[in-house]
Amino acid sequence: MENTEYLKPSDIKELLLLMAENKDRATVIAGGTNLIPEMRNGVRRPQVLVDVSDLQELTGIRLDKDRLTIGAATTIAAIAASPVIREHVPILSKATGELGNPLTRNRATIGGNLANASPCADTAPPLLALEATVHIADAGGKERTVPMDKFFMGYKLTRLGRGDVMTRITLSLPYRKVKGGHTKLGLRKAASICVASVALMLLKENGHIAKVRIAFGSVAPQPIRAYALEALLEGKTISDALLSECNALLKREIAPISDIRGTESYRQAAAGAILRRNLLQAWS
Amino acid sequence: MNKYSIRVKVNKEWRTAEVTATETLLDTLRNKWRAVEVKNGCAQGDCGACSVLLQGRPVNACLVLSVQANEKEVTTVKGIGTRENPHPLQTAFVEQGAVQCGYCTPGMIVSSAALLAQNPNPSQAEISEAISGNLCRCTGYAKIFRAVADAARKTKPADRRQ
Amino acid sequence: MADVIYSQAETHTTPDTASKGGYNHIGKPRPRHDAWSKVLGNTVYAADYIVPGMLYAKVLRSEHAAAQIRSIDTSAAGEMPGVVAVMTAKDVPNNETVTKFGQTHTVGGFEGLYRVLADKKVRFKGEAVAIVAAETLELATAALQAIKVDYEPLEGVFDPVAAMKPGAYPVGEEESNLICSYKVRKGDVEKGFAAADVIVENTYRVQSVDHAYIEPEAGVAWLDDEGVITIRAATQVIEHFRGIADVLGLPQNKVRVIAPMLGGGFGGKEDITVETYLALLVQKTGRPVSLTFTREESILAHSKRHPYLMHYKTGATRDGKLVAMEAELISDAGAYVYLSPWVLLYSTVNATGPYDITHVKVDTHTVLTNNIFTSANRGFGANQPCFAYECQLDELAQKLGLSPLAIRKKNYLHTGDSLATGRVLENAVETEATAEKVVAALGEPAPPRHAGEKIGQGIASCMSPYGRMCFLHDTSRSYVSVDLDGSVSVRCGVQDLGGGQASSLAQIAAEALGVYMEDVTVFHGDSALTPLAGTTTATRQLYMSGNATLKAAATVRRNLLEKAGRMLGMNPAFLDIRDRKVFIQPERKPWMVVEKENRECTISYGGDRGDIIVSEICGNNDPDTVIPLTDVVKAAAADGIELYCVAQFNAPARELLDFKTGQGQVWPDLTFGTIGMEVAVDTETGMIDVLKIISCFDVGQAINPLSAEGQMEGGAIYGLGYGLCEDVVINKGVTMTPSLAEYLIPTAKDVPEVQSIMIESGGGIGPFGAKGIGEPATVPAAPALANAVTAAIGVRVHALPLTPDRILKALGKI
Repeated sequence: MENTEYLKPSDIKELLLLMAENKDRATVIAGGTNLIPEMRNGVRRPQVLVDVSDLQELTGIRLDKDRLTIGAATTIAAIAASPVIREHVPILSKATGELGNPLTRNRATIGGNLANASPCADTAPPLLALEATVHIADAGGKERTVPMDKFFMGYKLTRLGRGDVMTRITLSLPYRKVKGGHTKLGLRKAASICVASVALMLLKENGHIAKVRIAFGSVAPQPIRAYALEALLEGKTISDALLSECNALLKREIAPISDIRGTESYRQAAAGAILRRNLLQAWS
Repeated sequence: MNKYSIRVKVNKEWRTAEVTATETLLDTLRNKWRAVEVKNGCAQGDCGACSVLLQGRPVNACLVLSVQANEKEVTTVKGIGTRENPHPLQTAFVEQGAVQCGYCTPGMIVSSAALLAQNPNPSQAEISEAISGNLCRCTGYAKIFRAVADAARKTKPADRRQ
Repeated sequence: MADVIYSQAETHTTPDTASKGGYNHIGKPRPRHDAWSKVLGNTVYAADYIVPGMLYAKVLRSEHAAAQIRSIDTSAAGEMPGVVAVMTAKDVPNNETVTKFGQTHTVGGFEGLYRVLADKKVRFKGEAVAIVAAETLELATAALQAIKVDYEPLEGVFDPVAAMKPGAYPVGEEESNLICSYKVRKGDVEKGFAAADVIVENTYRVQSVDHAYIEPEAGVAWLDDEGVITIRAATQVIEHFRGIADVLGLPQNKVRVIAPMLGGGFGGKEDITVETYLALLVQKTGRPVSLTFTREESILAHSKRHPYLMHYKTGATRDGKLVAMEAELISDAGAYVYLSPWVLLYSTVNATGPYDITHVKVDTHTVLTNNIFTSANRGFGANQPCFAYECQLDELAQKLGLSPLAIRKKNYLHTGDSLATGRVLENAVETEATAEKVVAALGEPAPPRHAGEKIGQGIASCMSPYGRMCFLHDTSRSYVSVDLDGSVSVRCGVQDLGGGQASSLAQIAAEALGVYMEDVTVFHGDSALTPLAGTTTATRQLYMSGNATLKAAATVRRNLLEKAGRMLGMNPAFLDIRDRKVFIQPERKPWMVVEKENRECTISYGGDRGDIIVSEICGNNDPDTVIPLTDVVKAAAADGIELYCVAQFNAPARELLDFKTGQGQVWPDLTFGTIGMEVAVDTETGMIDVLKIISCFDVGQAINPLSAEGQMEGGAIYGLGYGLCEDVVINKGVTMTPSLAEYLIPTAKDVPEVQSIMIESGGGIGPFGAKGIGEPATVPAAPALANAVTAAIGVRVHALPLTPDRILKALGKI
């Protein structure tokens, strides 16, 4: 690699200072599980690496009444193992447990997974279904929030601009009665890039779907919320007819491609199958 | 060329090196510190042959920048056990026939040792999960499962170590 | 009188060389002698070795699958500081040699072009165009980027069927891309089909796969003090020193190849990989050179398993008897010939499987294309037809209302039967027993875990040869010696890929010489210093070097016992060695104490009566006499008795198969076995869970049961990958699965615990009646998976791998 510079801020104040100083040249690195292979292949040639992996302020899982905060540099392994996450937002627990393999999970971070913005990003569908919020600090130190469903802008594009640092992800705990569902399909049982995934949260009240949030991965240029499906389902009762309508609508909601991992028609069918399965499970 | 001085405790001994920002822990271990027991199978985190413990947690050395390992502790298979004082896993791997070509073995032992350190009585599902990032092409994993289970049975609480 | 050490056409070494009291080591689950070093991280693999002052080499590879090279400009690269050598085709003394691939003797069969660096034309994407050596790896990489190659892309051809047509783009220098064809004719298939009650006809397609050993190709080479170019590389064939010497224009004894412990081979390190590049750069620079392929380079540029298109038509009568089989197999040889003719021959003779079929017509072809070249991969051409013939059988069974086991039992070949090529199966053939055991072990299928899940069980049997093709006149040599302290050295060229090839020799020598396994050191894999044992390929090492070692050890044992006999004044035939002690065989000892004065007496052996003169047996010795082996060794050494032997073992030699009729004997022997699987298929997502894998093979005699099981278990999963998730996707010559992130092999979570059941018929021609198992163990795995999946979902996919896509398509869901 060329003459890359490495900076390691010891606290968030120093981080923001360094980002301000190096704005256009700085690349934030945490676990590096995507970035390091990209550097090796020459796909990315960062001029300045700013290492946030050991920053205490960006790490940790905190529950404050019903507000859950996850530091952006929290490792996937820590999230997967967290009793707080498992108890309150099990779909995030499950999705992080299925990301990569145990070795990569010890380094990969939730912030890195989101910033990489792969359409297959494993943490994205659950965070979308949970209506999480991404907190970003810019080089000037100003903080802003971006709702999860506005964070991804296209294929590998996010709201993160030059000099921005993701600081944490927050979400409000779902009501106790809300049931979640998550399925990730891959071509083998571990260390598998997602072929199609779904995450959903469903609140059933008085025999109706009071609220539902559905998100998909690997079936569009970015992880997506399925708004039309949600609109179709809210207020209704699950029935075979409704599920058929969902499946038909799904064809318009998602835009999978054909690649070495699966054809478009496979992804369409598989997404439909796992949506249906999770809806039925959350409904029962 | 920007160079950084780093200091890493490898198997309980401090090692130093001058590295670039993008040099990986795998390359520094192998090329500068002659820790060739850490194998290069793919250099991008897909095979697990370079598994080491970093601050006690199993990671791919190819996915850690050496600068990120500065002032930290790294354990390779040589820090897990010796001939005079082998880890029960090493004995079990030998006795159960879980070693064929042996190329995945250092990484397998690192990952399994990490498993047994935090879960002394793992189920078959927990064993296969723990080593799911370590690819083996020779054994079909069968005798590796057996060796890890055997080592778990034979490790008395007082002997447990990382 | 010393036995003749060398004898023509011997096929079997008797176990007269072992202790009469039952085997001490053979058949025991001894830890491998290399295991401790490996678990401690001490084993030095090819890429772990450093020689002070070594340069780092890199290979420049073609961007195009088919192109003319108009020019190569290496001047900028050559001038870079720290870059010591840049070489292209013009710098190679003999860039093109015509070689009889895979031969260690100059007998028989096909020749192929071995081209070191591309010259004027490139034939595959990734073909080596130039090599550089520099002071650091970074400098070598930078040098590659500074080499300017002017390519004119050409059309290329990427499908073997298209490549076979007249007027197709010529991949090589000839007009025709067809390398060779074979045929088998037995009886009259038209008559057979006319007599058939049921006919099943299908086209099967199998994919390109990678060996995916965890250790990528690597080596270090240097010039020694005598000017011998020494190459220490991960290779299955140290005898490539000859081919390398040819390229360099050197005498063969000026090139030495050393094979350290390999991190897997599976046939991928059977052809030359790094060795020639290293040798050239050492020759050019005079300095040591190191070369390691990246994983991407390995996937891109080393050989693959042949993709096949197979058309099968099989006919049976109502009772399930196979009466006619017609098969046409077309294999993609890729850009260069390599071992394609041999792989095709294996497929041709294996096309029927281990079954008796009345009328057989087989036609096979292997064709050049601009894809990556294909060559040896575990199974060597037996795997592809096994998929076809086992699917055909299950389909016939289904149509006839027979169980998969029943139709196979109706047709299995047994000892004394002939293959369609006329070869009589003279040794043990236990296929039927293996199938019965597998079916019994599979038991009742598990119940589905949710709606939409279907469970299915399937079996597949195979025959798969061990030992190289007989027309290659295969030999193997081994040296065994006992040192003055009773420690034993084996020196043998055997290349150890991880299958315990070297450790087996320690076990055999320990058995024959009555010592402990720890007493034996095996020096292996050095073309200059260890007797050449031949390639570690073709499941031949246990058979060949095992027998050679046994033969050599047997001579040393004989010499030791003769000396011991003289020391005791007894017939050496009554003596035994075990656990480092020489003693009188227990069954020779009298049951009752006999007065020593009485020289004539009657001695009872468990009820039998015999008139034996005690003194003839025991001399003046106490029947419980024991002499430490070291005493015998020292006494023998003092007499100048040879305590060493280098023996050559010869496989049966035959002429080349008659290619007009496909009749003749190709291999010394075959191994027979069955694999069964139980799967759960999610009919909505197409995902497959493998719940059970049972493998049963007749291994003849397991030298080390842990190793034999290890081959069966590993082979089953190696084959599972072939069936389930492995695919080198190549699109117009471009590999779309460049790394292990895209090319998927089974992880620990993808496999159930394989249950391996060994049958030990003792009917193999290896040492102690052993058969080879390394390759056979993998051949029926993917077919068993396919049959299990079909049983689960009721429809068959006639291609591999069984992706979720293909499953849903077969179910009509997409």
